[in-house]
Amino acid sequence: MDQFIEQIVTGLSIGSILLLVALGLSIIYGSMGIINLAHGEFVMLGAYAAWVFHTYLGLGLLASLVPIFLVVAAFGWVIERYVLSLLNNRPLDTILATWGVGIMLQQAVRLSVGSELRYVQLPPALSDSMDVFGISVSSYRVFLFVVSIALFGATWLLMNRTPVGMKLRAIIQDRSVAASFGINAKRVYALTFAYGAGLAGLAGALVSPLKSVSPDMGTGYVVDAFMVVVLGGVQSLAGTVASAFILGELSGGIAFLQNDTVAKAIVLLAIVVLIRFRPEGLFTARVRA
Amino acid sequence: MSSHLDLRDVSVSFNGFKALNALNMSVRKGELRCLIGPNGAGKTTALDIICGKVKPSAGTVSFDGTALQDLEEFEIARAGVGRKFQVPSVFRELSVSENLDVARARRTSVLGNLRWNIGNSGREDIERLAELVGLTEQLDRPAAYLSHGQTQWLEIGMLVAQDAELILMDEPTAGMTAQETRKTAELFARLKGKHTLIVVEHDMGFVKAIGDIISVMHMGQMLAEGTAAEVEAHPEVRRAYLGSGGISHA
Amino acid sequence: MPSHVPNSSGLQRLIAQLAPLLIVCAIVFALPVLLNNDFLLNKVARYLVLGILTVSLGLSWGFGGILNLGQAMSFGLGSYAMAMALKLKTVPVHTGASGLPDFMVWNNVQHLPWFWEPFRSLTFAIAAGLIVPALVAAALGWFMFRGRVTGVYVSIITLATMVVINLVIIDQQSYTGGFNGITDLAQLEIFGVAFDAYGRATYYLVACCVLLSLLVAFAFTKSKAGLIVQAIRDHESRVRYFGYDVALYQIFVFALSAAIAGLAGMLYTVVMEFASPTFLGVQLSLSVVVWCAVGGRQSLVGAFLGAVLVAGMQGALSESAAFLETWTLVMGALFVLVVLFLPKGLAGLAQVVWRWIVQRRQAASGRVAQGVGQTEGST
Ligand SMILES: Nc1ncnc2c1ncn2[C@@H]1O[C@H](COP(=O)(O)OP(=O)(O)OP(=O)(O)O)[C@@H](O)[C@H]1O
Ligand SMILES: [Mg+2]
Repeated sequence: MDQFIEQIVTGLSIGSILLLVALGLSIIYGSMGIINLAHGEFVMLGAYAAWVFHTYLGLGLLASLVPIFLVVAAFGWVIERYVLSLLNNRPLDTILATWGVGIMLQQAVRLSVGSELRYVQLPPALSDSMDVFGISVSSYRVFLFVVSIALFGATWLLMNRTPVGMKLRAIIQDRSVAASFGINAKRVYALTFAYGAGLAGLAGALVSPLKSVSPDMGTGYVVDAFMVVVLGGVQSLAGTVASAFILGELSGGIAFLQNDTVAKAIVLLAIVVLIRFRPEGLFTARVRA
Repeated sequence: MSSHLDLRDVSVSFNGFKALNALNMSVRKGELRCLIGPNGAGKTTALDIICGKVKPSAGTVSFDGTALQDLEEFEIARAGVGRKFQVPSVFRELSVSENLDVARARRTSVLGNLRWNIGNSGREDIERLAELVGLTEQLDRPAAYLSHGQTQWLEIGMLVAQDAELILMDEPTAGMTAQETRKTAELFARLKGKHTLIVVEHDMGFVKAIGDIISVMHMGQMLAEGTAAEVEAHPEVRRAYLGSGGISHA
Repeated sequence: MPSHVPNSSGLQRLIAQLAPLLIVCAIVFALPVLLNNDFLLNKVARYLVLGILTVSLGLSWGFGGILNLGQAMSFGLGSYAMAMALKLKTVPVHTGASGLPDFMVWNNVQHLPWFWEPFRSLTFAIAAGLIVPALVAAALGWFMFRGRVTGVYVSIITLATMVVINLVIIDQQSYTGGFNGITDLAQLEIFGVAFDAYGRATYYLVACCVLLSLLVAFAFTKSKAGLIVQAIRDHESRVRYFGYDVALYQIFVFALSAAIAGLAGMLYTVVMEFASPTFLGVQLSLSVVVWCAVGGRQSLVGAFLGAVLVAGMQGALSESAAFLETWTLVMGALFVLVVLFLPKGLAGLAQVVWRWIVQRRQAASGRVAQGVGQTEGST
């Protein structure tokens, strides 16, 4: 029984990290239709930003979260403005372009900071552990869980209850009609992409104390995040949450039962089958069957 | 009288909205049938049903005795149905002559199409088609460079090239000048008899110029059928068009 | 109305289109005369093989609109088919006539696995190197295209499938050599000709295959089926309403492209003298996409040259590690620029320049021949 609860809690913890990482990708994919292959690199930038703020400015992780968000969001804004906005109506090419951008970011970090592993300290206030359902869990993991839910809530409010979100949804429906009502689609897209990038940066900063930081750390994250988005359904934030936690539980379970290779292969095959039979994701109603 | 194409009680719903509601229609061989109706009446959906783009939730479509509703799009096309779309659909990166060549679907199997066509066999055919739709000078230009009207012509030319028995035209004259529209009417008159045509149009002048029998749709159903005069006099048709400025301005 | 539009005959046009291909192949064949260095020649052969691989991607991506991010899967399968045959030839020497390949002995395998057995025949291996990738691609294509999977989703499925096969190969060490791949191979020998990786014979074998695969790909693109495949790239659903079974055409071009990639993979084993899981790795697979995009995805010769030049340049720079790192950054930037501003790659650029030159010439000669009448040139 204890072991079962432990599995569940581990799954929740993995799920909250998946949610953190996938949220930004989901926003960008769902609203702009862009599969941002540089997403992993935004995560990586966030992690490095945390390391830089700590090493050179002596700033703690919690204190640097807001500046990190802003820095990575600024990166995202620049990339949307000067790369992606040139690729209207060429969806396949946006994958290639974002992938190229990802390579450049990775390589730029490698050349400037070096490719050795870096470590970020846990915030001292959260370095102990606490009791959850009779299981001892690190406080930081509980904190991540809470933050991921909070960020999801904030994003949902932003999309559904603010003028910018409203404009974005209008553009998703029909760009030209939205434009004729005076909505500046370019600006809204740039802001959306920046926001998604900022979220990725936050995710990177938040996971950095749990894993080592390296230039190629993003590759794994982008695959995970993509899986979450595909499973959750493209235009469904709630689906993203559900699929993040389902995948969290599953990957906890699979890793527990099987060896790593088999787990990876199963996950990939699951993606393949899912895309073939339900490209719209598990949690969206079928429209226009 | 054996009908060539027969739609029986065809219904379609999109998310619960009934775009077609027990639609019935039959067309004789060699006939040119005009299909009119206010915006959203379901005209495009009716053509979609015939060519297999949309599957009916109820009802049957038979063409020369073949039940079309269970076939895939390409099988329906092979059975002799050609379709022009409301949004002109051509291959933008291919040249005009290549577009026409693709449409000449004499053979459809992959292996049958692995042969080369060097030399001028087929080229003459394509040049004749291009002349028919006035695109001789554009033959070697990518279709992306054509004007809207020319793109419409190209797609019409592609349908002639396809040489289907039944041709479905969705608003073929949209975006054409009055003169071009007249030319289209002439072309259709020539196709009539050899082919069976169903033409969806809003332009009543055009409809009167080409059509024998006119079918009027409204809210997914067949409202009336008859000659232009009969249809215009029909009280229900008048009511359906009320508010959109009358039938000739629809 | 113009009386007649000047219209070069189909044959003339064909020759004009073939010219760049033939010129490039002539250079490839002439190279050994200029390059009197076996080591360098082996390197060049390697890039030529990668060129063939990139042509195969161009066929499915540039012409068919199928961005296969797992193109290296077919390449790797071909490479392993060849390596298995060449490995079995070493058995009598390494572990005794009735024995097993050395890595199987190390892994305590008792009997040669059934799927290794037919690779005792080189003919079978070569056939398998072409047919297995084609069949795998056809099956995957059937799975995807029958379900009308398009665009980005095709890319993801192909990439994921390749990674799965890669994982399996690494995992099944006792049957595949695992992480190390299959090394220590015998030399390929056909009709008494031995193909030493550093010999001229191997180079010419590769050169012949370059010519062959370019010609096959060219022939396909010029056939009606090739035209239909391009039409599918432009507007998939429209093609259906002309009576073509779109999925079959996609499956065909996908499988043809895989067979050519398989051929390249076999040659790669001969040139490199081993097979490795990296041959069907993400890194290589994505590099092929870059080469293809830089060279020009809609031009076979462009894709080929893109691979040879970029991979060649990378090879030349890889002598120094620091250079290589910077090179990757430059490559990334170059790639982004090409995607943004040269969607048809260097081949597209060359075409524009060529057209400009021709037009200027015509303008010049038009001035001389004033009064003869207007001639509209279309190339
Ligand atoms: N794919 C779809 N999903 C949801 N609703 C649809 C879809 N296609 C059509 N409809 C709806 O079905 C109704 C009929 O549409 P249809 O396009 O057949 O009309 P139409 O008679 O061709 O109109 P128009 O003259 O404007 O072209 C419309 O109300 C339309 O909104
Ligand atoms: Mg319509």
